[in-house]
Formats: sequence, structure tokens, C-alpha cells
Amino acid sequence: MVTKLKEVDVVIVGLGWTGGILAKELAESGLKVVALERGAPRSSESDYSLPNIRDELRYVVRHDLMQNTARDTITVRNSPQQEALPMRRLGSFLPGEVVGGSGVHWSGHTWRWTDMEFKIRSNYEERYGKKFIPDDMTVQDWGITYAELEPYYEKFEYTAAVSGKAGNIGGKLQAGGNPFEAPRARDYPLPPLTPILASEMFTDAARNAGYHPFPRPSANASQPYTNPDGAKFGGCQYCGYCQRFGCEANAKGSPHMTVIPIAMRNPNFELRTHSWVTKVLKDSDAKRVTGVTYTNVLNGEEFEQPATIVLLCAYAINNVHLMLLSGIGSPYDPVAQTGVVGKNYCYQTGAGARLFFEGKYFNPFMNAGGSNATIDDFNTNWAFDRAPHNFVGGYNVSGGFNTALPIGYRPVPSGTPRWGSEWKRATAKWYQTAMVINASGSVMANRYNCYDLDPTYRNAFGQPLMRMTFDYKDNEHKMGVHAAQLVNDIAKSMNPTKLNPATARTDPWTVVPYQSTHNTGGTIMGTNPRESALNKYLQSWDCHNLFVVGANVFPHNSSYNPTGPVGALAYWTADAIKNKYIKNPGPLVQA
Amino acid sequence: MIDAIRATSASLMTLLLTGAAWADGDAARGEARFQDCAACHRLEAGVNNVGPSLHGIFARKAGKLADFRYSPALKRSGISWTPETLDAFLTNPQALVPGNRMPYAGMADAGNRADLIAYLFKASK
Repeated sequence: MVTKLKEVDVVIVGLGWTGGILAKELAESGLKVVALERGAPRSSESDYSLPNIRDELRYVVRHDLMQNTARDTITVRNSPQQEALPMRRLGSFLPGEVVGGSGVHWSGHTWRWTDMEFKIRSNYEERYGKKFIPDDMTVQDWGITYAELEPYYEKFEYTAAVSGKAGNIGGKLQAGGNPFEAPRARDYPLPPLTPILASEMFTDAARNAGYHPFPRPSANASQPYTNPDGAKFGGCQYCGYCQRFGCEANAKGSPHMTVIPIAMRNPNFELRTHSWVTKVLKDSDAKRVTGVTYTNVLNGEEFEQPATIVLLCAYAINNVHLMLLSGIGSPYDPVAQTGVVGKNYCYQTGAGARLFFEGKYFNPFMNAGGSNATIDDFNTNWAFDRAPHNFVGGYNVSGGFNTALPIGYRPVPSGTPRWGSEWKRATAKWYQTAMVINASGSVMANRYNCYDLDPTYRNAFGQPLMRMTFDYKDNEHKMGVHAAQLVNDIAKSMNPTKLNPATARTDPWTVVPYQSTHNTGGTIMGTNPRESALNKYLQSWDCHNLFVVGANVFPHNSSYNPTGPVGALAYWTADAIKNKYIKNPGPLVQA
Repeated sequence: MIDAIRATSASLMTLLLTGAAWADGDAARGEARFQDCAACHRLEAGVNNVGPSLHGIFARKAGKLADFRYSPALKRSGISWTPETLDAFLTNPQALVPGNRMPYAGMADAGNRADLIAYLFKASK
């Protein structure tokens, strides 16, 4: 028994950063907006305040803010020849599942991805020739330019209280910032966070080696701040509980304390929590969608919510899952290389070293989400010649801490026993003396890395689980070797007492342990419907009143954290709907 | 009990050292200083956020709003909020009331504190 509700202008599936931004913007434009969030309502005052928030067991071990794998999960395999098995515990990545989504538990790192990503195929072919990109590397241009997105990056940075130092304002290089960033119209809204000792030491070492260190831009307010919408931020207290936690000081830019409460005050907006969307409904001619069906997970009641516009704003994996479950767009087939939905799933890679300095006191319990320093010399620096190393993409390198928690953070030199009295002696001796240097690397699209529906396993609603097929390819292995060498060179130049060196990973990817929540692709944006699921406005090529927003639109993954372009593209899509689509509903780009 | 005595004596000590600098504060400048507080505190009566409402703060003892969950440390501090005690608290909240839950490291500059308190004295009524 499905109860059919009254039609609304817009239904939003998932209320994190993208859903929150679109809810606020579209409700303000006069549209009647309903958001369906599968998770619970949460707020800073009732859930993220002291002392309850500082609970490693609840938030890190038991994943209190994350998706519950007993209800829905994915199956995983490394190649199409293998049988995929369900991920029964969260591991490699942690999708959020509360009001605010993963925007509650992120660290805040906010980057501007540039034309180096958006025009990746054109750039590499022009410089290195058509043969440089391997046949199975399905990277393609995104159909959007940095210049188009620049004002929307700024809008997101000012909304989320990003602290940082500009490296390039209007083409003029700024001392202390990232010299390789694309030109920006304005500086960040807030100055950089106070550096910690580890980031200062890394900054010196990187500079001595001839690189260009700068403070990592991050949505951790370096001082009290009121954003352009009037949302108030406290200054970061460097408490160290950032990643995986809501912020106790309202200092981390998060949708639940910015765009969502503003939308909630607007009578045009309604939020329904515990509402699990099972399907997007298509019109009989399959040119439009008519709404969604959802289940109230508290009592099992089922509803149909008709809507003029449907926005998929769930976690990246779940947006793609809903498209496949709803039969919108043709599913991708990696063997025949046909179809688009499920195509170009990408992850990230990395290589890290741990350095121990006898006599140093790093106070690892004090840091912000972004209190580290970074170099981009092997990332957005196009002068870095990839030809001798024969890989596409790049990596950024950072030094410092982020959320080194009092119980879980136990750095010891390699060779230390994993338990027992010797381990206890080592953890007491080395706890204060360790820092990390970490390379975070891009992952290029490959024809065999993709999503489809699992033929065997089903979720609590009886629907097929999403199946993920992923492994690192030769390109990532070559980059890993380069990155590990570079990290170790910088580490050795700092003369640590002991060094756990970085190593390039050669083993197949596995879903344990935690690695990164930066899953991208699956419903990618692009220039034409043969190669992409969405146009440059994140509008479905198949159904013009369906927009799919989030990192699932990225045609490949860079070395940067994804939230900068995720937020900017949400504002970009909001403007396209308000200024273009509402006036003239239909495809915004002709196929 | 020991905590309460310690807290009270600490506040008295601080009082003697800081004097009544707040009296010279500028409420207009203090409104800008209130940005440090505004992410968590409202001035309207009955509106608790991450921190308790500051409405009527100078007419009450610390930790006494019925509908806000205070830390045990603040509840047993025995502090009556006056410009002097608030000045001592804001200088270094953890020094005056060890174990309180306000995630704020303190406002070091005495002039800024005086401005803020002058503003609060007007705006919390």
C-alpha cells in the first residue's frame, strides 16, 4: 500500500552539502521543496556538544554518523572475473547518514579543481600526443571550465568558512599561497589556521628542497566568522576531534549549521527524515521523471512523492545506485564498453611515511582538520613533466596531523610488536615524537573500474545491492613509486631518529581498512550522451527534469579532496535551475 | 566541595588582580567582540544553542538555567555572574572553572574583555 502525496515543485533525495545548498537556493527562489533524508535529524546543540561528542568508541569504532551496512551495503570485487562479496562492515570509506550527511564528519579540506582535470584528455593529448593515454584509461573532458566554476567555488568557500592563503589572485602570485592554483577573484574568507609544529617542520624541509609549501585550505574557521547568509561560526579550538565527528565549537563548515537551518526557516521547504528513497519514477515516454517512492524506515510506511523536478543529492555511491535501480540511462557494460550509468568509478591512492624525532613534543591531540602544510609541485603544476615517469595525474604531499585521537592514534616504529609489554613501552615512548608526511594521489578512470547491480545479494528493501569493481592499474602503480620516493627524500632530509618509510602499494585494493571516502564517478558529466550520463549542468541526458549532484559526476578523481567542486557544482546547478530551467523546462544542452 | 572552594578562591584572586577594567569598556566595540560567542550563545530569553542563553546573565548564578545541561564543574562553581566574575572567567575559562565544557580558550586582551562585558551588560537585559 503506497500512499500518493500531493505534488511538489522539487523533491531532493539526501540532505547533506549538495541537498542543503539546493534546498536553500531553490526554496528562496519560490519553489516548494521537500527533502527526503534517510538518516536522523541531528544538531550541534543536541548531538555534537561537549562532552558526548568526544567518544571514539561511538563515532570511530561504531560509526555513529555513518550508513548502516545491515540495511544496505555494496558488494566488492577487483575485476569482472571475480565474484563480488558484500562489505558487511564499513572500512575503506564512510558514507554519512544523518541530516548534514558526510558534511558533518568531514575534515574540511576544500580545493579548487582546475582545467587540468576538466580538460584532462585535451591537455594530455595536446602536450604528450594521442598515444600517451593508455587505451583502457577512459578519462575524458568534463564539459565545464574553471572560469565557469570560479564564482561558485568562491560562493562555497565563503559559505563554509574556508581558512587559507590565496596563491593567485587575478593572475598575480601571492607569497605564501599555492603558486600552482588557478587564478581566483578574491582571497579566502579567513586567514590560514595556526600551523602545528609538524606542519612547520614539513614546510621548512619542503622549502629547502625547492618546493612550494602552503597552508592547506580548510573549512575550519581560523577565527569567529559570520558567513554571507548570516550563519555564525566559532573559532576553531584545535580540539583534534574533526574527521568523523560533528564540531563542538561550530567552527567546521557543515551543512547542518549553515544552509540547512536557513532552508528550514523558509516556509517553502519541508524536511522529512528517516525517509529512504527506493526508486525514481519515470513518465511513460521515459523523457521525464515524475517523482520518487520512499519508505519511512521507522514504521515501514511507503509513499509516492510526485515532483516537477527530482534532485539526487545522496552520497555518491547511492546516487548511482538509485539511477541503476530506477532504470534511468543505459547501464554501463565494461566488456562491450557501451552504456554510461556505472561508468568511470574512481577512488584515490597514496603513500605515507611516519617520522619519529626523539626529544620533540608534537602534542598530537591538538590540531584542526586542516592544520597541515601541502605542496602541489607534483599535482596542479603542469610544468612537472609526466613523460619520463609515464603516468597521468598527480599527487599532493602534506605534513602534519589531522584527527590523531587519544586512544586510536598509536604511532610506533616499524618492527615493534603489535601487542604486549614491548608495544606498551614503545607507544609510551614514541607517542609525542611522531609526525607523518603523506602523498595523496589521483586515480584515473579505467574501463574495468565501474558499478553495476549485484546479481546475488539484496538489501533490506529486497533490491539488488550495488556492485563495485575496482583495482589500481599500472598508472597508479607508477605514480605510487614516484610519490613514495619523493616522500622519503623529504623525510630523510629532516633527519628523524626513526623512519617508517613510504612504500608504493602493489597489492590489490581491499575494502579494509579505512583509506578515503572520496568515491567518484558512476553518473558522470560530459559533453555528449554517448560518453556521459549528465550534461554540464548535471542534468540527465535522458530525463530533463532529473539532476544528479555530487562527486558521482566526476569523470575521474584527482589527488584533491572532492568537496570544493562538489559544493561549487551544487551552486552552479542551483543557478542553472533557477535562471535557465524554470524559465524554459527542457534539455539545457542539446544532445 | 573542594572544587567549589578552589573555584571561588581562584575567582577572588583574579578579581583582586584585574580590578574593574570592564567599567571602561565600549559597548559598541563589544558588539563586534560578541562574534566570538555568537556561534553558540543567543541573547534572547529561553533560546539555548550549543551554549545557554545569555539573557539576564548578570542576574543569575552560574549553571542555573533549568533547561540547559551544564557541566558538573560549572554547576558547583558557586559563581554569581557579575562583570568582575565574567571578566575572570573569560580570561581563561578552564583556569577559573576547571572541567567546564565551553569550547573556548579565552579572550586574552583585557580591553577586548571590557568592551565585550560592557556590551553584554546592555544587551543581556
